[in-house]
Amino acid sequence: MVYFLRKFAFFLLTLWAAVTLNFLIPRLQGGDPAEAIVQKLAGQSQAVSPEQVQAVRLMLGVPDEPLWRQYIDYLNQTIHGEFGVSYSYFPYTVLHMVGQTLPWTLILVGITQILSFAIGTALGTWAAWRRNGRFDSIVSTFGAFFGTLPFFWTALLLLYLFAFKWPLFPDGGGYSGDSPPGWNWAFVSSAIYHSVLPAVAIMLTGPIGWIMGMRNTMIQVLGEDYTRLARAKGLSERRIAFTYGARNAILPNVTGFAISLGGIVGGSILVEQIFNYPGMGRLMFDAIGNRDFPLIQTIFLFLTIGVLTANFLADMLYGVLDPRVRRGGDS
Amino acid sequence: MALDTRGFAVPDATPSQKPESPVESPLQEEERRSRVAAPGWLKILWQNRKSRVGLALLAIFAILAIFAPVIAPYGPHDTQFFPSEQPSSAHWLGTTQAGEDILSQLIWGARTSLLVGLFAGFFSTVIGLVIGMIAGYAGGWIDDILSFFINLALVIPTLPLMITLSAYSQITGIAFIIFVISVTGWGWGARVKRSQIITLRERDYITASLFAGDSMVRIVFREIMPNMMSLVVASFIGAAGAAIGSEAGLAFLGLGDPMTVSWGTMLNWANNSGAMLTGQWAWLVAPGLALALLITSLTLINFGVDAISNPHLREE
Amino acid sequence: MAGSPPNPPASAGPQPVFAVRDLDVTYLTKYRPPFQAVKKATLEIAPGEIVGLVGESGSGKSTLGNAAIHLIEPPGTITGGSVLFDGQDITRYTEDQMRPLRWKEIATVFQSSMNSLNPVINIERQFQDAIQAHTGMSDAECRTRIAELLEMVTIDPSFMRFFPHELSGGMKQRVAIALALALDPTFVLLDEPTTGLDVVVQKSILRNLKEIQRTHGFSVLFISHDLGAIMEIADRVIVMYNGELVDTQPTSHLLTANLHPYSRSLLNAYRELWGVPPDATTSAMVDAVASHQDVPVTTVDAHVPGEEAIAPTDHAVAAEESDLERRKRDRRRAGVAGSGEVVLDVRDIVKTYTRRRGFTSTTVDAVQHVSFRLERGKITALVGQSGSGKSTIGRLVTGVERADSGAVTFTDSQAKRMVDVGALKGRALKNYRRHAQLVFQDPYSALNPAHTIAHSLMRPLRNYRKMGAGQARAEAMAMLEQVGLTPADRFIDKYPHQVSGGQRQRVVVARALAPQPEILIADEPTSMLDVSIRAEILELLNDLVRDHNLAMLYITHDLLSARILSDEILVLNKGRVVESGIAEQVIEDPQDDYTELLLASIPNPFAPAASPAD
Repeated sequence: MVYFLRKFAFFLLTLWAAVTLNFLIPRLQGGDPAEAIVQKLAGQSQAVSPEQVQAVRLMLGVPDEPLWRQYIDYLNQTIHGEFGVSYSYFPYTVLHMVGQTLPWTLILVGITQILSFAIGTALGTWAAWRRNGRFDSIVSTFGAFFGTLPFFWTALLLLYLFAFKWPLFPDGGGYSGDSPPGWNWAFVSSAIYHSVLPAVAIMLTGPIGWIMGMRNTMIQVLGEDYTRLARAKGLSERRIAFTYGARNAILPNVTGFAISLGGIVGGSILVEQIFNYPGMGRLMFDAIGNRDFPLIQTIFLFLTIGVLTANFLADMLYGVLDPRVRRGGDS
Repeated sequence: MALDTRGFAVPDATPSQKPESPVESPLQEEERRSRVAAPGWLKILWQNRKSRVGLALLAIFAILAIFAPVIAPYGPHDTQFFPSEQPSSAHWLGTTQAGEDILSQLIWGARTSLLVGLFAGFFSTVIGLVIGMIAGYAGGWIDDILSFFINLALVIPTLPLMITLSAYSQITGIAFIIFVISVTGWGWGARVKRSQIITLRERDYITASLFAGDSMVRIVFREIMPNMMSLVVASFIGAAGAAIGSEAGLAFLGLGDPMTVSWGTMLNWANNSGAMLTGQWAWLVAPGLALALLITSLTLINFGVDAISNPHLREE
Repeated sequence: MAGSPPNPPASAGPQPVFAVRDLDVTYLTKYRPPFQAVKKATLEIAPGEIVGLVGESGSGKSTLGNAAIHLIEPPGTITGGSVLFDGQDITRYTEDQMRPLRWKEIATVFQSSMNSLNPVINIERQFQDAIQAHTGMSDAECRTRIAELLEMVTIDPSFMRFFPHELSGGMKQRVAIALALALDPTFVLLDEPTTGLDVVVQKSILRNLKEIQRTHGFSVLFISHDLGAIMEIADRVIVMYNGELVDTQPTSHLLTANLHPYSRSLLNAYRELWGVPPDATTSAMVDAVASHQDVPVTTVDAHVPGEEAIAPTDHAVAAEESDLERRKRDRRRAGVAGSGEVVLDVRDIVKTYTRRRGFTSTTVDAVQHVSFRLERGKITALVGQSGSGKSTIGRLVTGVERADSGAVTFTDSQAKRMVDVGALKGRALKNYRRHAQLVFQDPYSALNPAHTIAHSLMRPLRNYRKMGAGQARAEAMAMLEQVGLTPADRFIDKYPHQVSGGQRQRVVVARALAPQPEILIADEPTSMLDVSIRAEILELLNDLVRDHNLAMLYITHDLLSARILSDEILVLNKGRVVESGIAEQVIEDPQDDYTELLLASIPNPFAPAASPAD
């Protein structure tokens, strides 16, 4: 019980820290941040439109107020969901833009991650079970290599091969223009069709980490005394592999999954940009190009909150899976 | 269960001899023997097939980077050639749409990656080491506070943070990239070192050092550190690999240093200037492959380093 | 040649349940030469017989037992000989062939400190999967059976729904025993089942086990390093040394039979530890090699009595014949000037720990109103089981922790003043630590594996005695000689892993003496060493106390060795001193019930009432 409460408290605390970080970043360089931004834009000989200045001021508040007052205003705004106006998509609010792209990213990243974890864990279990067998050597050798392939590179290659060279898949976008968005089959199928390549790009390298991780923990667990006793009991191989092996080995990997989420989100930014996929990642990328600061910041905040939430859920799951943690003993 | 530098759980390095039990299981007897007859670390690295390959690969890249001016056929920014050419005998990988030789860019790009990997890896390891060691050794409320920051650093998504920092920054350049990567990537190392120190802190020989009159500083640096060396090395190698990947990602998004050539920027240009349309597959494949091979070489070396600290893994 | 032939007389009755013939087990590794752990082992176990297999670390006993029933992992394999179970040759059986035999016929109980219960399933399911794998019982039928089994080992059946981490070590071991008996097997392998457990708990478990065995009639192979525990319940004892079975005797004859030299020396080591007069017939054999010179420094950690390599056929038994008890008497008679002076005065100390779990806190009363004094030239023993508070007292005495109330006062003879240990901080604490040195329990973790012995010994010399490097090294070598590691230059530059456990412990003692302390605190200094080496370390401590006029606090769970070594004994139970007095008196005429219980629980093969038919 204490465990769950502690994790919840951590969740709240990190949420606050993320929000505060978001507040501090533009102000890190001292002086009036809005002024600095405007100068930066001007210095890069980009036309500074009145909308941009307006949006920046809205976001960053009045410069001559004391810092703590700005902070309170900022917190106030955040809680009320007022994230300012996007000036590259003026007059749409930032919240609106984010709201439009959030579901796409959520679905793409969410589904691919869960699938990666499931497949990777299963394969890793198999590799460890047949340790030093052929499957294991292939997995170990290639695992190291494939795991280092940069996300965006595999995405580029996939795009090139399967959308340009051999046009099997669309070369971008989330859906084709001629189906109106909505819960109809035409739209949904088009969306799925467009998401295949991005999903494959993410999943090509995704499971690799899980395979290696699961393999190593399984090997450790298979050497434990309780596995020896299970064998001494004459239990079936399957039972030993699951109830004694995988069930114990998966625990550190759940923690690992939680931690790696931050990296996944980063990777998806790159993938979305390559495939022109209408998710938050591409939105952020465009916002960078347009120097649309309110948008950049809010996307960062949402991505962080997303990762924190997923982390929290993973921690909860861990508490459910490991009785030692949720029922502290007094042996 | 300990975690290695990639976050994978590995069996604990020391045999688990429990109090009041001078007896050993067959496995413990074997562990003790293997600890006793340990060959030197270089020999282990070389013996381990994976790390042998890794060392060789890294050596190749290092040579390319150091001798780039001599090895590369042309300068990376020489725009005197025909643009958008396919691979030919004059230009093994073709030319960019601005007329630069891709192969030369690739070779010069090795410098950037290795530089960033070395320095950002070094700095993030140092930050992680200091914070992790203080948290682990001091314990108590100091540990609670520092652990919170370590967990925070782990949980906040690094690429979005790096992007946000870069977007606001007035400075650009390799130094800034190294700074950003170091400041966002120390979390994992800190966590690993902290748990290692907590284990080592409890060892009797540390108490013995206290009773032998050694100061805390001396104990941390002369008694604890030597036992952590392979962990620190593995951590550095892992951090270097991660830094190389991060730099590539940032460069690909256009946030890298516009002045220097790196493999990430090459991919950025390839993507933006329609390499896919012109069918210049070499431009697309080469930089990514180079990145992958370099990072792989580091990972492979780390297999060997893991084996040094953990006899269990040596029999592979 | 002394030592009975390995084959017991062929039993006239039914065929043996378990028979091993000329078994060889070897560890085949890629980078090192193959190591043969078991050499031509032959033994038989009759139906209903309890056979004990005793050996020290490195003897291969565990390997033998586990390899025979196909429970060891590569790189260990059977490389020769055969194993018969109930007449069936199971030597080359695959897992699939073994499976029908497992648990129904052959069951095992592993070492108590092991992690042998699956941490993520509850107790009921630990039984259930074994039962249902071999029988067709329904869940409800299983539950009834499990309740039966738990009651048989005196555990309340309601504990079924708990998880392993919620049970104490003793309870987990009882569960493991009940688990092994779940399917009424013909043969049970016990591999160090009570090691690490409280002596009282151990006695009750062994007694329980014996009762159950008499009722159900299964055969047992009981592997242990603790001869006393084996002799408590075994019908026959087999001694193993360096991979070979050197002796087998019925328990009742063990003390009087004509034994193999190794077995003899093992028994003598026990005798020595417990103050039983040594076997007279061996004194003639002992004269041969008795000094500590020529100790081979091998890279394989071979534990040998007296730390000298003997081949089993060698008549030169190296066990030290010097009597610990005699030494103690010598020490007392020596009566060095200044002895008897109080060095440490511990008065009425109390230490309580509060453990916060969730929103409730439990207070653990670690130490309750304990008082004693440490005097120069005298050894005081604190005897207690785990949880008795003895380690806490050690920490309070060395200033690592502070008592909640009461006082620990140190008389600094050089500065001629009294020091309140509890109030010390910083530099003053460091100065005090010079005078209260520790000898640790675990020789494997007491020396920094990354440094040579020279380094570890020189630190206190340079810090406290302000010696320069050259001088410190010379002094370190002198100290090695003092603790019996001669010639010192053979050891000084070695790393800890290059010397044996006993040698390491000597280095630890040398290091403790380096700063010339007034008090020596030894916390279980021999419990992690082989029995044959323990006596020597205790002798060493005794001699050093005499030669340097130290005050020593000997913390241990072993009441009998406390009697041999120490002058005064304090018996601790749950933080309180339940009995204290002169060592011999406490043992011969105990006043407190707990002390009596402890004495009755210690497995002592030499006690007159120790007969197998209990």
